[in-house]
Amino acid sequence: MSAGDSNPAATPTPCEDIQGDGRWMSLHNRFVSDSKDKEPDVLFVGDSLVQLMHQFGVWRELFSPLHALNFGIGGDATQHVLWRLSNGELDNISPKVVVLWVGTNNHGHSAEQICGGLLAIVQVIKNKLPLARTLVLGLLPRGKLPNPLRERNTQVNQLVAEAVSSLPHASFFSVDPGFVHCNGSISHQDMYDYLHLTPQAYQAVCQPLHGHLKSMLDKPTEI
Amino acid sequence: MSSDDTSPAALPEPVEDVHGDERWMSQHTRFVQECKDAEPDVLFVGDSMIQLMLQHDIWRELFSPLHALNFGIGGDTTCNVLWRLQNGELDNIKPKVVVLWVGTNNHLHTAEQVAEGILAVARLLTSRLPRAKVIIMGLLPRGERPNPLREKNAAVNVLLRARLPAPGPITLLDASGGFLQPDGALSQRDMFDFLHLTAAGYAAVSKPLSELLLQILEETPEERRLPLV
Ligand SMILES: [Ca+2]
Repeated sequence: MSAGDSNPAATPTPCEDIQGDGRWMSLHNRFVSDSKDKEPDVLFVGDSLVQLMHQFGVWRELFSPLHALNFGIGGDATQHVLWRLSNGELDNISPKVVVLWVGTNNHGHSAEQICGGLLAIVQVIKNKLPLARTLVLGLLPRGKLPNPLRERNTQVNQLVAEAVSSLPHASFFSVDPGFVHCNGSISHQDMYDYLHLTPQAYQAVCQPLHGHLKSMLDKPTEI
Repeated sequence: MSSDDTSPAALPEPVEDVHGDERWMSQHTRFVQECKDAEPDVLFVGDSMIQLMLQHDIWRELFSPLHALNFGIGGDTTCNVLWRLQNGELDNIKPKVVVLWVGTNNHLHTAEQVAEGILAVARLLTSRLPRAKVIIMGLLPRGERPNPLREKNAAVNVLLRARLPAPGPITLLDASGGFLQPDGALSQRDMFDFLHLTAAGYAAVSKPLSELLLQILEETPEERRLPLV
């Protein structure tokens, strides 16, 4: 664990309640208690991109029928998800697939650190749920025009895709249907604030994801 | 306007691009551009409470038909909205009504200061748009359980109510009443993260807002056709 100890993205950290309304811990506690009466086949975990998916029609249309739970919290970075999964969110459930989508909020971390954070989460899931497979979703581009965070997210995807290719219990899935236009810009029709997805963009992201999840659920565990 | 008695929440300030993808300025620039192409009767301006409304069906059902523009940016404070409105977002448009919803993100400011900040935005709107009405949306409770930020938001609403003698060009619409359950808890059915509204939460807020908007739009001078006697 010495590598993890020196990587802030791979060090389990609860979100500090700077604002004083306790919302992050309320959500975590809610997820833990929700999981006690549910038997999900699929667990989505991550940041606002996971959380907001739950607010639109696409969730009821595509993922509720797969018996999916949504443990997304806006603003979360890898170290926060790592803390949540290490502190109760996986203790009462045994999903077949965990969909992991986090990393774009790891401000101040390098692509290598974020990749290390994602791999640490994959490892916690393997320890807690030995029979589950983790599907790591690729980070999306962000910002209206080309910028360093877009490049970093692309780099994270390359590192993670390569790292999980040798792991039997994890795989990488790119969900970018082509949000960056040929002139380098992203449309607000897809990302209303150049980060979060519109309902229309969630359809473009979730249709192929849904097909992939169905094939994973139909197929026996790859060994 | 001596700086000593100006609330810090009434000082215009752009959002600093700490993350490096310039999303805030990209959104502001887009809004300024939209002002050149659209002739809205209603302008919605504020933070994520305004912004996320646009992503739900309720926007197309109730507000698009009123010729509404949405200038919401997640995370904005009164200072940020003031800056945007002073830097192009009111140029070239003459809405009849402006819906203002901001203040819950003013974490550095007291209730008194936040109320002053909201009123400063409203006064800017009425001075730039002398014929327009302004609807200030009261701040909503937040957090699953009682907490200081809820108390602060409630105090802001009380201060606003006291400082807005009716009738006038500025109206407070406080839709915060129905959200607290008898035990003091907020429900995730209304606010999925105990701050932002679900589709059901938006439906509850939008009904009185839409009724008020229709009433104001019917009363605007342009629409009034007095019968000749
Ligand atoms: Ca693999």
